[in-house]
Amino acid sequence: MWILRINMTDRSYRLEDVPEAYKYLGGRGLTSTIVHDEVPPLCHPLGPNNKLVFAPGIVTGTTAPTSARISAGGKSPLTGGIKESNAGTAWPQDLAAMHIKAIVVEGQPKEKGKWWMAHLTWDGSKPKVEFLPADEYAGKDLYEVYPKLFERFGEKVNIAGCGVAGEFGYGNAGIVYNDMARRPSRYSGRGGLGSVMASKGLKFIVTDRTGAPGVQYADQALFDEGRKKLIDALRTHDITKPKGGLNTYGTAVLINILNEAGGLPTRNFSSGRFEGAPKIAGEAIFEGNKQRLGKELYNHACSPGCIIQCSNTWHKPDGTEHTSCVEYESDWALGANCGIDSLDDIAEMVRLCNAYGLDTIETGTTLAVAMEAGIIPFGDGKKAIELVHEMGKGTPLGRILGAGTATAGRVLGVTRVPVVKGQSMPAYEPRAVKGIGITYATTPMGADHTAGYTIAPEILSVGGKADPLSPEGKAALSRAFQATTAFIDSSGHCLFIAFAILDIPSGMEGFVQECNGVLGTKWTVDDVPKIGAEILRKERAFNEAAGFTKAHDRVPEFMKYEPLPPHNQVFDVPDEALDSVFGEL
Amino acid sequence: MTEIHVDVWLYGRLARYAGEGAGSGYANVKLSLPAGSTMRRLLEHFGIPSEERGITFISGQLSAMPGLQPDLDHVLQDGDRVGIFDLNSMWPFQYRHGAAMTEEMRRALAEREDAGLHHTYRGA
Repeated sequence: MWILRINMTDRSYRLEDVPEAYKYLGGRGLTSTIVHDEVPPLCHPLGPNNKLVFAPGIVTGTTAPTSARISAGGKSPLTGGIKESNAGTAWPQDLAAMHIKAIVVEGQPKEKGKWWMAHLTWDGSKPKVEFLPADEYAGKDLYEVYPKLFERFGEKVNIAGCGVAGEFGYGNAGIVYNDMARRPSRYSGRGGLGSVMASKGLKFIVTDRTGAPGVQYADQALFDEGRKKLIDALRTHDITKPKGGLNTYGTAVLINILNEAGGLPTRNFSSGRFEGAPKIAGEAIFEGNKQRLGKELYNHACSPGCIIQCSNTWHKPDGTEHTSCVEYESDWALGANCGIDSLDDIAEMVRLCNAYGLDTIETGTTLAVAMEAGIIPFGDGKKAIELVHEMGKGTPLGRILGAGTATAGRVLGVTRVPVVKGQSMPAYEPRAVKGIGITYATTPMGADHTAGYTIAPEILSVGGKADPLSPEGKAALSRAFQATTAFIDSSGHCLFIAFAILDIPSGMEGFVQECNGVLGTKWTVDDVPKIGAEILRKERAFNEAAGFTKAHDRVPEFMKYEPLPPHNQVFDVPDEALDSVFGEL
Repeated sequence: MTEIHVDVWLYGRLARYAGEGAGSGYANVKLSLPAGSTMRRLLEHFGIPSEERGITFISGQLSAMPGLQPDLDHVLQDGDRVGIFDLNSMWPFQYRHGAAMTEEMRRALAEREDAGLHHTYRGA
C-alpha cells in the first residue's frame, strides 16, 4: 500500500510506503490524521501550505455492500477548521485497486490561471501519474466537460474534479465525482474543498485501474462471513431493503416527516413547517415521475456495489431526465428553506449546482439569507435560479453568495444566519430536534447532519445512566454518535448502513468483521466508539490550534431567543451540556 | 361540543384511502368526527389497517412508529393536525432525538430496555 503525494508546485509525484501508524486507518480516520500531522493549523486554506487529502475507506474496493466511499480532507476555506467531506462514487475503488491508501495533494503552482489534471494509471507494478494541461476545461459547465473527459480517457475511467465555483475560490465549492451514469453529480460538497483543489491548479484527477491488482485481504473468509451478515441486514431492514424507504422515496421522504414534526427549516429558519412541503417531498417525486414516465421509477445506486440504492432522478414533463439527484438536503435547502414549492425549479438549481461545482446545502441556505435581506423574494424560484447563475458566472453578487451563508449574512446585514463555525445548518431544526442541535454545535466540522449517526445499542452505556432526553443524556449520546460516525466514515461504508446495523445486531458484527478481514485487526463492536473517539481528538486538536474555543461550539444566538413555530420552542440546551460533549471525550 | 374538526394528511400509499382527496403522493382531508374520537376511530373512518401505517404525528407530536403504536386510544382534540405515513417512511433515531412526542409515546419508549434507541421497531 502507498501514500501517493502529488506536488503541484513542480508537478511531480512520489509513492511512499504507508507508515506503521497509518496502517489501520482509512477514509476519514486517515484524512484527518494526515491533516492533523502535516497541515499547519494557521495556514490559509487556499495558500500553498494547505493540503488536500483523499482516502478510500478500509473496505472500499472490496465486494462489501455500499462501500464505494471517498473521504476528502483539508483545512476548510468555509470554516477555517479541519474538514472531512465524504461521497459515494466509483473513483475511490480505483485508488483501492491500485493499493493507494491516500492521495496527498500539496504545494501550489507559482503561475496563476493555469490549470492541470493528473491522469492516474497502473504501470505494471505500481501507480503512475501523468500531468496534463487542463486549461481547455476551465470556466466551463461540468455537464459539458465530464463527457469530453470520458471521451478522451475512455469510458472506464473515473473522475474527481472541481467546477468554476472552485476556480473562483468559493467557500461553498465542492469536489465533484462521477456517478455510475457518468454524471458529475456525486459530491464531497461541504466545506469548500473544491476551492482547495482549484487553489493547487488541479482541475481533475482521472483514474484508470486497468491492470491493477485489486484489494488484498488479510483474512478473506472472515471478510466474506462479515459481508454476508451485513448484506442480510441491509436486505431485510425496512429502511434499506429493496423497494424499502430509501429505494422508493429516496432521502426526500424526510421532507413530509420533518414538516409534520415541525422541524423542517422554512424560509431561512423562521418556521418549522412549510405549507408547500407535500409538493416537493419524496412521495411527490415518486408520483411526479410516475405521471411523467407512465411507470413507477425506483431509485438507483450512486456507486457500484450499493444495495440500498437511494439516488434519484427527476424528470421533465416530456419524460426526459432533468437532473440527479434531488435528495433530501438539496430538496430542502433549495426548496422549503427558500419558500420554493416547485420541484422543477428545485431540480434546475440542483442541476446548476452540479454544473458549477457548488454545494447544494450551502447554496440553498445562502439564497435564503439573500431572500431575508430582500435581494429577491422568498418563494421566487425563477429569481433564485438567476442567483445560482450569478454564482456560476462570478458576478460581484455571485461571489458574495459563493462565499457561503455566514459571509453573505455579514455582507447583507442579516441577523438570522443559521451557521456553526461558518458552515450552514442542514435540514433539521435544532429548536425542534434538540439532539441534532448538540451535534451541530459541537462537531469539529461545523453544522453537519452526517456527524452523529448511531450504530449500536451498546453505545447507550457510553452515556451512563443519564436519561437520554435530559441535556446530559443528549450530550452523552451526541458524543457516542459522533465517535461511531467517525468510525463508519473511516470504514468506507455509506452512513446509511447505520439504519440496518443499529436494529439488527448480526449486521453490526458483520460490519466489524469485514474491516478485520481486510486489515487483519481483531476489533470488536466495543472498539468502534474508541477508535472513533481517537479520530475526533485529532480533529479537535487541529481546530484548537487553528483558534477554535468552546465559544465556537454554540448554535447561533437567534435560536436562543426566537421561538420556532409551530412548537414555539427555543434552543435551550445549556452551554455546560454542550461543553460536556468533548469535555468528557 | 359534539363534533371535532381534524386536519388529516395521508402520505405515500396511504393517500389512496382518501379517495377523491388524493393528490400527488399525499391526501389532505378536513374531517369531522364525534367529540371524544380516538386515533383508532380515525383509522376506521378511512379504513386504514393500523399495521399499514408507519410514522404518525398528532399536532406535531410523534405518536407512533413502525412496530410501536401506543396512540390507538389517544383522544383527538378539535383542531388537531394528524399526519400518517406508510411503512416506507423513515425517521432515523438521530434525526428525531429530542423531538416532540405524545405522552403515550414518551412512556412507551422509556419503558423499553433500550430506551427506544432504534430506527424502527418492527422486528427489532
